[in-house]
Amino acid sequence: MDKKLKETILNPILKGNPITVLILGICSSLAVTVQLKGALVMALSVIIVTGLSSLVCSLLRNTIPMRVRIIVQLVVVAMMVILVDQILKSGEGTYAIDKQLSVYIGLIITNCIVMGRIEAFALGNKPIPSLLDGLANGVGYGLILIIVAFFRELLGSGTLFGFRVLPAGYIPNNLVILPPFALILLGCIIWVHLIRQVNLR
Amino acid sequence: MNTNSNAYTVIYTTLVVVVVAAVLAFTAMKLKPSQEANAKAETLRQMMSAAGVKPTEELYAAKNAEILELYADNIQEAYTIGLDGEKNGTLSVSKDKIELVDKLKPQNAAIKAGGEVTLPVYIFKSGIAVIPIYGAGLWGPVWGYIGINADCHTIAGAFFDHESETPGLGAKIKDEAWFREKFIGKTVEWGEKPAFRLEKNAEASGASNAVDAITGATMTSKGLDEALNVWFDAYGKLFGVAAFFNALGDVSLSEVSNSTEEE
Repeated sequence: MDKKLKETILNPILKGNPITVLILGICSSLAVTVQLKGALVMALSVIIVTGLSSLVCSLLRNTIPMRVRIIVQLVVVAMMVILVDQILKSGEGTYAIDKQLSVYIGLIITNCIVMGRIEAFALGNKPIPSLLDGLANGVGYGLILIIVAFFRELLGSGTLFGFRVLPAGYIPNNLVILPPFALILLGCIIWVHLIRQVNLR
Repeated sequence: MNTNSNAYTVIYTTLVVVVVAAVLAFTAMKLKPSQEANAKAETLRQMMSAAGVKPTEELYAAKNAEILELYADNIQEAYTIGLDGEKNGTLSVSKDKIELVDKLKPQNAAIKAGGEVTLPVYIFKSGIAVIPIYGAGLWGPVWGYIGINADCHTIAGAFFDHESETPGLGAKIKDEAWFREKFIGKTVEWGEKPAFRLEKNAEASGASNAVDAITGATMTSKGLDEALNVWFDAYGKLFGVAAFFNALGDVSLSEVSNSTEEE
């Protein structure tokens, strides 16, 4: 059991990463990775939403009528997303980030990772493993987001978390700021991942 | 228990929706004060950016409490006017009770309908008057704050914001400092139609009241252009008269609005 739990936590982060292996959540990983700060807040929001939605859906799993299960899951996910959005809006430090992330916080609802994990895992497992599975998948997603944002902010603005890292003479690469570069970078990350994980090929 | 019967399904979904609605309503109610405080500080930041009180980055780095203090220290007076240019209300500017007209949507509708309006004018100690603008962009509302110099004719600064314009295209009205900086030193030709032009190749005409529209953001630019002109038209009476007297001699904006009040 203990080994299985460990597998539940580690698998989504490394071997079965939702972005690089399952290719879920690509859209937002292109959109919110221009700066590390935004990517970090987005990652935390997704971690909270996937974790809590999986937990709630797992608690309800024996009572949900099968015919309307997708709708019930959607209501739960939507509630979590709206709660996260409201809390971000009310914090003094997070208000500006919420405005910057604008529609993408709301679009967590459509992030396939959330619904995918509920359908594939939470509906058939006990609450605690489901919570961990949701959180771990959020972490796996966030990890990739932060790697992409690291390179994009470094090369696109010469800063990290808003602090200047590269010398002032560095001319920012405008391609890096545009979404296509994120796709190229994501391709490279998937490539490296597949080389390292021989069994995935 | 049969979880697949019709009655169960209907009752279950109803219950879920009611519970979720209650949770959301409760949170919204609890968080409303802090959200409104954030929104107010955000409006003040944008106004003070337009008035040139401090550089925009410094305003965004400051805490909410510091922003309220900074505003109270720098504001001279604030009042509202009607479409005839006459003063019809005052806004408190003391630090503990800062009043703003920040619901611009109903004002915008009233301007277009020619109805009763309370258009805010915020006069800073530097002599710069800040007025809002509001209109429809491509996906949602666009708005902004324009700082007008003491001569009531030239623009001292501008700040634009939007709800959901396309990042990288329409969102440039807020994100790109060069766009708002283009407005500095331009003029507003009160009473003329259009009073200001935000159009393709407008700068090439050499007009002092023209700024080029943003490439790739035609609808956002058009929306902002309309917002500018509708609101400049609404403020035209007060500022037009003030600018006229200013050209003759040194008359401040508040003297004009006070004198029209007495008539």
